[in-house]
Amino acid sequence: MNHRTSTLFALFIAALWAWWELDLKFVDLFPTKGGAQIARDFFSAAWRPAIDYQSEFVPQGAPPFLWIVLQGMLRTIYFATAAMTLAVVVGVPLSALGSRLVPSWVRIPVRILVGGMRSVHELLWAIFFLAAIGFNSGAAVIALAIPYAGTLAKIGAEMLDETSDRAYHAMRGLGTGKLMAFIAGLLPQATPDLAGYAFYRFECAIRSSAVLGFFGYETAGYYLKSSFENLHYQEVWTWLYAFVLLVLFLEAWSGQLRRRFVA
Amino acid sequence: MQSVSLQRGDTKVFQDFNLQVQHGEQVALVGPSGAGKTSLLRMMAGGIPSESGDILHGDASFASATPKELRSLRARVGFIHQDHALVPNLRVCSNIVAGRFGRQGLLQALRALIAPTQETRLEVLQLLDQVGIGDKMYHRVDRLSGGEQQRVAIVRALFQKPDALLADEPVASVDPERARDVIGLLTKVAQEYNLTLVVSLHDIALAREFFPRVVGLRQGKIMFDAAPLDLQEGQLQELYSIQNK
Repeated sequence: MNHRTSTLFALFIAALWAWWELDLKFVDLFPTKGGAQIARDFFSAAWRPAIDYQSEFVPQGAPPFLWIVLQGMLRTIYFATAAMTLAVVVGVPLSALGSRLVPSWVRIPVRILVGGMRSVHELLWAIFFLAAIGFNSGAAVIALAIPYAGTLAKIGAEMLDETSDRAYHAMRGLGTGKLMAFIAGLLPQATPDLAGYAFYRFECAIRSSAVLGFFGYETAGYYLKSSFENLHYQEVWTWLYAFVLLVLFLEAWSGQLRRRFVA
Repeated sequence: MQSVSLQRGDTKVFQDFNLQVQHGEQVALVGPSGAGKTSLLRMMAGGIPSESGDILHGDASFASATPKELRSLRARVGFIHQDHALVPNLRVCSNIVAGRFGRQGLLQALRALIAPTQETRLEVLQLLDQVGIGDKMYHRVDRLSGGEQQRVAIVRALFQKPDALLADEPVASVDPERARDVIGLLTKVAQEYNLTLVVSLHDIALAREFFPRVVGLRQGKIMFDAAPLDLQEGQLQELYSIQNK
């Protein structure tokens, strides 16, 4: 058995084992009768997204539903922006310290730290910081920022390692200090890729920020969850469409910015 | 260079090597690939330390220099790399101001990179004008032709205000006509600024045409060190043919 066949065989055995451990049956992959009805209700609401509250009992003076959608989306963006800013401020220096330009006694501890930061999911960090700091915006922002800074640092270090270091070494040869040679000789060349990746991570941060709503923060996820629990599927679809629009807008915007960086 | 030795891996590149270059002198280093021309230039610039012996720059010694002194010594030697070693997606002006980073503190260097003073910009412009690309000051380097990029590399070295200018195969990948222009330009600016100039070259004809002193190097040894008129054809044939043995 050659290496490729044995790897495929091992993967097949692992898959079988997982199914057996989870007691999965093929029929479990299809909805139950009640579940099918919920799915039908949910998907049929896709054509009729809500433009007003679905509930008949709306408190007097409550702002219009679409206003709430706008506010929820904005709060989602605020959390993502604050977290991503912190992630860039922490992640870019860490990516430099984790690159091969730095001696191994610095690089290896930094890479271990970065590994630790990114191996714990943002929602788990959120649980930890909610307990440690309490329910405030700071806890959510830090929870998002830690794994994002870690991922940015890891990918950033790899990008820096792949960047041509000719200009860096030429500057060092003129007597330029390491930090300045890094800032002027290496960073500008890696910036388009780093910026492109940071924009992609910002899109991810928007999604994570929405999910923070499940912890009680008033981002899109908070309203989405309550609409879903109240079986207000048309409202759910309004949130989902607003979310898709936001992500598409960000993608177009970041694409434009990336082109400007590269041009 | 006094009794300099250098080993790379298992190969002895130089052993007990001596070479003296006077201030303001223009020297061409010729020899086949692997002769040690690049290593010699890099040692002269303080880029690689010799294992024994010393390299003196005026009265200053590379061997006994502290790290700080070494930085300041390096800042006195301009180096033009074969592949220019410029930052491709930065503007010409930003690449040139980097020439002086070795003499500047971090904040001063950052300022020169991000927002150079009017005085700096004028100085850069004058140098660019001198090499005929004054209109390219705010162009991105990767939008320039190979010849223009080479001029940017020369201006970066001049902006450094060095005492000596070292160039490693500056015409290795350009056509013969442009090669003459580049070497002509290098020797002209070196003369104007009273700089010592040491250039490694493959093209022996260029070396003889432009340089008053030609040093032939093979396997880390000086085969000849003479004025072009004193060079014998036999010496040149020996320099290149022995390598094929």
